[in-house]
Amino acid sequence: MSMRSQVYEWANLAPASSVSTLRRGTDNQPKYVAASTEYDVFIGGLGNNITKPAETTATQFIVIEDIACTPHLGGAVQVRINTTDYFQNPDVTDQVGVPGLASPYPRGAASTSGGSDNLLKSFDLYPDVYVLPGQVFQILYSQRTATSTTDTEVVAAFVKYTLYDGPDALIANKLLELGVTINPNNVDWYKRTLIEQQQRTAVAAAAGGQA
Amino acid sequence: MRSQIYEWDGSRNTAIGAAQAGTRVSVFIGGYGNNITKPAETTATQFVVIEDVAVTPSAFVSGLDTADYRGLTVSNGVAGPRAYVQVRINTTDYFLDPDNVGNDGIPGTASPYPRSLNFQPSFSLYPDVYVLPGQVFDVLVSFYNSAEFATLQCFVKYTLYDGPDALIANKLLEMGISINPGNVDWYKRTLIQSQSAMA
Repeated sequence: MSMRSQVYEWANLAPASSVSTLRRGTDNQPKYVAASTEYDVFIGGLGNNITKPAETTATQFIVIEDIACTPHLGGAVQVRINTTDYFQNPDVTDQVGVPGLASPYPRGAASTSGGSDNLLKSFDLYPDVYVLPGQVFQILYSQRTATSTTDTEVVAAFVKYTLYDGPDALIANKLLELGVTINPNNVDWYKRTLIEQQQRTAVAAAAGGQA
Repeated sequence: MRSQIYEWDGSRNTAIGAAQAGTRVSVFIGGYGNNITKPAETTATQFVVIEDVAVTPSAFVSGLDTADYRGLTVSNGVAGPRAYVQVRINTTDYFLDPDNVGNDGIPGTASPYPRSLNFQPSFSLYPDVYVLPGQVFDVLVSFYNSAEFATLQCFVKYTLYDGPDALIANKLLEMGISINPGNVDWYKRTLIQSQSAMA
């Protein structure tokens, strides 16, 4: 299991008594989300969170392959590696990231809360985003319009990534040095190339021994 | 090499109910919905590769909405069961949060079953999940909307490698190469080519 597909889903749902939770529960209710505020979906203190910042160890390599969020209320998602935002304006200033209208979650969601239309994705995260060994990464959700204080909408964000661990992380680093895209197919290709080289060497050695 | 599927419907036999909300239920031997006679496991000459898991999806609406949305019951702003599906090999959960803590698994909203215009997949299970010879595996469904459980369904797609193909699958695993019908065929071709070169 040295290459594993992983997902993380965040929603502004938490128990009545708090604004964030480490475990989902049956009593979760929607929580207020302010306008134009970036919330870290991992440790932002709103909705479901994890215990510590998302980071790779020295023997891990992460490839983020998809990000998406609910399209209503002007939702958007940004990726931050260490302290650098991935999505920028052409003048290199900050922006909110990929709008939910371009990368909706769920796919087929309506553009307004409770609406009847079906949005398809306009955005594909390709090339993927690499998180190198030892880096910290954040997925930041923000929305242009705050949720209603009386009728709070549920908003959500979604991340799909592949975790490369151990030898596969070393190969991922090697592919990065070679300038080759890191994906399971190319990691397999690199392994097959190594094996075929070894087999050719063994065959040549056997043929040389017979002569 | 045989392509296989398993569909679980929580409303069949002993139907799943609100009391099971927030708990994990095995789709094979959990005691709710359709089940099989014994835990899912591989023999010494079998190798299973799980290629897709999916569960009933949910949509996100407003907290005060009560009317059904897209055919799903709404509660606390979630239309649908808010269901997740986790794969467990022996005693280890496959899907983890970035802090390495096991999570609920793949949301049905990301991997919906059935797929529809309203709910399309955001997730594909690649690389696949391997069940080695002699291992027990389970697919666990959890849901958090206790108002919506009648529609709960789960789907698993896997490939069963048996006999010589299971041996090749093990060999590919030792070599660190993804196990799929294409790579099993590649290994067979490589063996034949190396025999030809030696002859």
